[in-house]
Amino acid sequence: MADYSQKRFLVIDDQPQARDALRTVAQTLGAFAVEFAANYQDAIYRIRNNTPDIILCDYMLGEGRSGQQLLEELRRFKLLQDETIFVMVTGEQSYEQVVSAVELVPDDYIIKPFSPDKLLLRLDRIVAKKSFFADYYREKRKEEYAQAIALLEKKRGSEAGRPYRFEILRQQAEVLLASGDSTSAETAYRGILESHDFPWARAGVARALHKQNRLTEARREIDRAITGTPHFFDAADLKATICMAQGEHAEAQKILDEVAKKTPRNFLRKRLLAEAATLNGDSDAARIAMADVIAGDTMPGAVSAEDRLALSRSHVNAGDKISGEQVLIGMREAEVQNLNLAEQASFAALLAICSPEKGKPRFAGLRPALLATELGATARLDVMRAALSITDNELADLHAEQLMAGPEARKTFGSIRNQYALHGREKDFREIQKQVALKRIRHEEAAPAAGAENGIESS
Amino acid sequence: MHRLLDILASGIHDTKNQLFSAESLIAMSEAKHRIDLSEVRYAIELAANRLSRTLTAYQLMRHNARLAIVPSIVADLCAEVALAQKHHLASRGITLSIDCQALDDWPLDRDLVTDMLNNAVQNAGQAARHKIRLSAIEQGDELILRVEDDGPGFGTIPPTSGTGLILAEKLAVLHVRQKRHGSLHLSNGGALGGACFELRLP
Repeated sequence: MADYSQKRFLVIDDQPQARDALRTVAQTLGAFAVEFAANYQDAIYRIRNNTPDIILCDYMLGEGRSGQQLLEELRRFKLLQDETIFVMVTGEQSYEQVVSAVELVPDDYIIKPFSPDKLLLRLDRIVAKKSFFADYYREKRKEEYAQAIALLEKKRGSEAGRPYRFEILRQQAEVLLASGDSTSAETAYRGILESHDFPWARAGVARALHKQNRLTEARREIDRAITGTPHFFDAADLKATICMAQGEHAEAQKILDEVAKKTPRNFLRKRLLAEAATLNGDSDAARIAMADVIAGDTMPGAVSAEDRLALSRSHVNAGDKISGEQVLIGMREAEVQNLNLAEQASFAALLAICSPEKGKPRFAGLRPALLATELGATARLDVMRAALSITDNELADLHAEQLMAGPEARKTFGSIRNQYALHGREKDFREIQKQVALKRIRHEEAAPAAGAENGIESS
Repeated sequence: MHRLLDILASGIHDTKNQLFSAESLIAMSEAKHRIDLSEVRYAIELAANRLSRTLTAYQLMRHNARLAIVPSIVADLCAEVALAQKHHLASRGITLSIDCQALDDWPLDRDLVTDMLNNAVQNAGQAARHKIRLSAIEQGDELILRVEDDGPGFGTIPPTSGTGLILAEKLAVLHVRQKRHGSLHLSNGGALGGACFELRLP
């Protein structure tokens, strides 16, 4: 039995009675200190400021939020180290369905009612598992991926590793994906599927295929992962992301809209919804989603410059340049100073569109950088649009061409075509499209195709 | 869509929360006054398990039961059954022994399988004279979980009553892996000479 007398517990539950019960259980184990959090916000605050050793979190947190969402947010914001124990506590049998499907899982979950002894048994086995994986967790945190994978490989062949076969395989696949080796990650997830058809492993295959830009296959796998797992919301996000990459923006928006209704306070999902709505030309939905994110996401530092740019963009798309400009000039000076190049590009581009006299000088000042630097698809679209609006055709065409030749061609195709049409340059658009196609053919003749499908069928 | 199911599930959820409060209060009293009220807690857990099982049975009858398959450590599963039952059985002069030879983790519905085994051990407790044995072994590509006792054995096979057994059979079959299904086998005369409950999982 591990010693819990030096451990700090955090109990998260919105029901006072249930909180007391959990405290009693923790105290019976001899816990050194038991803290409480009555809601989501409070929980994040406490975990940020003074990470507990053991978190007991109820699945139902009220206010449209769940313990699962908390767990996902903590992991994504790297507020929860692998060494911290997170146990979900639930009276709901339906949480088992969640845990068996999703990619981000707690260390364990326990169904109420349970005795202190049962929790002790569960905690002891988590402690044993964490000590088995301790050296791996260290390498993973340092992002020493090769080292981490080597450690897992060694554990996989060991006798002590036998109770953790699936956990080792799962960690291997995750690290491979994190390290950027999506081909090996795909193989690893497929290996797990040979043993059992876990939805999370199928989603992993889809994720790896998406990274390789093998979109049709990715779509097929994610559809299979979603079938029969209505609780697997992350899979819906992934499916929507794949749909966007395929240029199917209406479908992406529809999927996200449905899931967002079930998870009204998941603001990462709302951001994704805004992106899909923007690409789909539904500027109202995009604006509502972004306004909701900015007003509602109270995670400290969560609302970023990128979010304000997205809100401004949604106003611009709706034809409301005054509101678009207000969002931009309402940004704090320090925030504007700290923008990275892509954000600077979007900021200048959107301002130039909203208010040419204010925005043009800044945009002109960035022009040399914009001609020379690689940018993400969103920033490129903004720059292209601003350039079209001030008839800087050279700059506009450069970005249009690079978008259409790049991996996000399908995603941005509709937006590019619309903007060129709006400025009466359909002919030039078709010319750029032709040039990109010709270059690709020449390129493929020189080096036979690798199987990625980033081409666009001519339309 | 499943309105009745939702009402049942939420009622059961609330009840289990209240049972948890009761159990915690009892545990606190035990610690405070240095007394043993484990039989009271056992009764509470039995009631909660019974409620969960009723919900599962309802879902099975409605054909919308879905398993939640997670990789599970078989030894831990056996340890949990021992924790839940051993003390109670000992108070009735019955020894529960555990023999787990399955070292690998196994994909199964952890909570349902634990419940099936708990139920089987409880049933065995009704008939056993002195001994019950829970064992786990990997054989070929199957995991075999057995509950055996030294009682008179099943009167008829299959037994004429027992929701738990009917449920166990259906839940066993729902465990599918590479097109192989799980199964339940009841027999008499096992290692201890009495009833033998055998669950085979792919």
